[in-house]
Amino acid sequence: MSTNNPDKPEETTRVPVLRPGYTFGSITDKIAAIALGRKTPIGWLIGFSLSFGVAMMLFYSIGVLLLKGIGIWGNNNPVGWAFDIINFVWWIGIGHAGTLISAILLLFRQQWRTSINRFAEAMTLFAVACAGVYPALHTGRPWLDYWLFPYPNTMGIWPNFRSPLIWDVFAVSTYATVSALFWFVGLVPDLATLRDRAKNRTAKIIYGMLALGWRGSARHWHRYETAYLLLAGLSTPLVLSVHTVVSFDFAVGIVPGWHATIFPPYFVAGAIYAGFAMVLTISIPLRKFYNLQDFITMRHIRNMAKIMLATGLIVAYGYMMEAFMAWYSGNEYERFMIYNRMTGPYWWSYWSLILCNVITPQFLWARKVRHSTTALFLISLVVGVGMWLERFVIIVVSLHRDFLPSSWAMYAPTRYDWMMFIGTLGLFSALMFLFIRFLPVISIFEMRTLLPESKVKEEA
Amino acid sequence: MAKRPEIYGVVAEFEDPNELLKATRAAYEAGYRRIEAYTPYPIEEVSEAVSPHRNRLPLIVLIGGIIGGLAGYALQYYTQVIDYPMNIGGRPFHSWPAFIVPTFETTILGAALSAVFGMLALNGLPRPHHPIFNTPRFELASRNRFFLSIEASDKKFDREQTKEFLASFAPRDVSEVDW
Amino acid sequence: MMDAAYTAPPELDRLQQRALLVGVVALGLTVAGAFLNREQFFRSYLLAYVYWIGISLGCFAILMIQHLATGAWGIVIRRLLESATRTFPLGLVLFVPIALALFGGHLYIWTDANFVAHDAILQDKAKYLNVPFFLGRTALYFFIWFVIAYFLNKWSRQQDEASDPKEMKRKMQDLSGPSLVLLGGTMTFASIDWVMSLDPHWTSTIFGILFMGGQALSAMAFIITMIVFLANFKPMKEVIAGRHLNDLGKLMLAFVMLWAYFAFSQFLIIWSGNLPEEIPWYLNRLSGAWKLLAGAIILFHFILPFFLLLPRKANRNPRLLVTVALLIIVMRYVDLYWLVGPQVSHEVGGKMNAAFHFSWMDIAAPVGVGGIWLWYFLTQLKKLPLLPINEPQLEGALGEGAGHH
Repeated sequence: MSTNNPDKPEETTRVPVLRPGYTFGSITDKIAAIALGRKTPIGWLIGFSLSFGVAMMLFYSIGVLLLKGIGIWGNNNPVGWAFDIINFVWWIGIGHAGTLISAILLLFRQQWRTSINRFAEAMTLFAVACAGVYPALHTGRPWLDYWLFPYPNTMGIWPNFRSPLIWDVFAVSTYATVSALFWFVGLVPDLATLRDRAKNRTAKIIYGMLALGWRGSARHWHRYETAYLLLAGLSTPLVLSVHTVVSFDFAVGIVPGWHATIFPPYFVAGAIYAGFAMVLTISIPLRKFYNLQDFITMRHIRNMAKIMLATGLIVAYGYMMEAFMAWYSGNEYERFMIYNRMTGPYWWSYWSLILCNVITPQFLWARKVRHSTTALFLISLVVGVGMWLERFVIIVVSLHRDFLPSSWAMYAPTRYDWMMFIGTLGLFSALMFLFIRFLPVISIFEMRTLLPESKVKEEA
Repeated sequence: MAKRPEIYGVVAEFEDPNELLKATRAAYEAGYRRIEAYTPYPIEEVSEAVSPHRNRLPLIVLIGGIIGGLAGYALQYYTQVIDYPMNIGGRPFHSWPAFIVPTFETTILGAALSAVFGMLALNGLPRPHHPIFNTPRFELASRNRFFLSIEASDKKFDREQTKEFLASFAPRDVSEVDW
Repeated sequence: MMDAAYTAPPELDRLQQRALLVGVVALGLTVAGAFLNREQFFRSYLLAYVYWIGISLGCFAILMIQHLATGAWGIVIRRLLESATRTFPLGLVLFVPIALALFGGHLYIWTDANFVAHDAILQDKAKYLNVPFFLGRTALYFFIWFVIAYFLNKWSRQQDEASDPKEMKRKMQDLSGPSLVLLGGTMTFASIDWVMSLDPHWTSTIFGILFMGGQALSAMAFIITMIVFLANFKPMKEVIAGRHLNDLGKLMLAFVMLWAYFAFSQFLIIWSGNLPEEIPWYLNRLSGAWKLLAGAIILFHFILPFFLLLPRKANRNPRLLVTVALLIIVMRYVDLYWLVGPQVSHEVGGKMNAAFHFSWMDIAAPVGVGGIWLWYFLTQLKKLPLLPINEPQLEGALGEGAGHH
């Protein structure tokens, strides 16, 4: 693949992306064993059952919602969007880090991506699945959701393409499709490895069908690599566009607190921020329990911490600009919006958000913190909470007091709101557990290319 | 159609990518054309040695993207301007700034679908069975072994000579592979 | 290896002399213009000033980014970037006419007491938009930029002789992170003060980012032009290789796309919102001849460079790369002209002057300021070797370029 970049800063060159001493065979065996192992680890069983149980809360609330309607949520007038859209934006943002790790870092020839891209992409897919639940359900009659798509119908009408909500339909469905394809294409050669190594006949047949008959032919590899690179090139602008469109859902409206031109870059940065926090939250325990420290090295962890710091600073810049421009605009509604955020009934959410998203990541300036997995794990959890609060502040706090004081109201989530949110957390981790058990968590064929003996020597 | 040869071909098995590359280049120089290398990971030089041809995939992706974009914009233009024009907040029927967003998405979708399905089509996949799988120990091609096959349908193919030719590169093993 | 001193080629002297000559003549004409039409002079001068200080600041940001990102592309252009950051003293001197405009009540409508007396919002905003605070802020921006640029340049110079170049490198890296944050903050407020406040009622939260994106793009185009020029002569002839240009070209493409993304985001949000306090800003810029200019910006500031830079081969062709870079250098100016042109002005009684107007000073001023700037930049460039000779990663950065041995 790429040539080794000789100019790495000192801090990062000290720890390699792969611990020396591995061979083609041992890398293959170690990673494949996680998926092919006959005995399911007891920890996995407990973790999976727990997540699956929590996911049941989601399915139960969906059942109730289908029977009774969205009145079971706390949404009201004027807070017409609340947990549904908060959670949608939160989940979709988390998904973005996966695509970015895969695509952008591939384009920048950053080899450290190799060991984390696979599960980061899986994370993307599962996060998008969790995100998709909300817009699908919040329509009230989800069985009519296909009305969102432009198809010739007996009513003779079409969706309104001037609305950001229809842009969202296009953006999110394209994103889900392309992420799934990107992930699957990346998996094909590894599925062939699992097919060739599986002892169990059923496993052999299933992996064999999924591998599409991949045989590692040189001609195939050539086109495969081109396709993969092109997909990376396409995914990069796509992932930026998705959160941009999500930000348009708010920004093209005129509600104070929503209508801000900075929303697109600031939402994208926030998405990457939350996403990398989630990758850290997952990879720190994962590498410990499955002994993957040789593959997911401290260098990965540190690089992700740096990206979190950078994106966290962009998000902080966004908060600063919102507050300054609200004052500078001289517009009384804009000024009231920011005043209400800071001192209104939801003041606690704004200041917790500043604490989680602006103050906490400043610890990442310290090398010592970036070297401690415990500290990073805690910070990444705090950032995850902070990014959720950010959407709460933007959505609920902007809506609950807008232009007309007579229509102000307070919002409180119901138990169904909470059950659905916690349920998606369960669904997400249950899917992650399944993925870890049945598919290679690390791209095996790309890890092979990291070995020194993989490079052929050019003879003159 | 030409008569099918008795066997699929002759396959040599290597442990080192450099030996595979050397043998592949030599085979091409010796005039063999129906050759194929099988490796556990992509090796640019080997792909180059097997078939030094241009790759049509970028063109397919470009065309796919253009079709996706045009179709996306046309859909919006047709539905919002021609078929059912509606005044929405006083915005023009042809609201091109708004239409750019879905057009962008359909462009990416068209290009991505062409990349994946174009690659599969050019590679002739999915194809669950292939004679090369009859090679002994071929399951290691997805682990740590490197294989070079010369098919019997090659004009220059001769069962014994070709075997000797491959054996001259000191592979781990040379075997005849049945259909 | 070859000439290890990497001294500047004599061709730079010729360029420098010409730049000075052109600069002095054009600036002289512009100053003469000040006596013919003062309002126009200040407007054209602001445009020229913002354009060229933007290149210094763009280089400043790229310098810090390359310290943090560390790639071969960054090492070969580092001395160019550093020289651009040493032009800040000139930038401060050139700010004097703008300060004069403030005291004379020119250029910025909020400096006109009569006008503000009839505008409640501007009276309220006077807490921020007043002359002493404006000048104080500009002084603060320059102070911060001076300090950072001073240390980055000092350590880079010391690195050339240092016995432990790695220590200097670490110092520069450690400073670059926080400095980038400071630069982002100061640059945002500078763009609000210098440009956005020309229309004191209009606001856009993305403006600072859009402005910085434009600066990074101008700076990248300038650096590519310079490096391709230098690659014609020894010693850089042996140094600059396809892969360096490839990386620089890709970065320029990325900046083109980012700029377009920011610009389109701002436009779409304001267009969709259609609010009376925001949309006039675009309505004025999309009326009459301004509309043609807007079309030209879409075409030549985004679409054409995008498609020229997209093919992989394009970035290894120095002639094509330099053509695109020059196109961008021109289009950056057109974009700023479009941004600054239709503004609230005294000429029409404090209303929006949306009529298209173009003066010879709009050409003379940027050429004049640019000539002086380039002359000063080259003076700085010649002071040090063209490459950081003691940089630990220099060899790796040159490795493939100078032929692999």
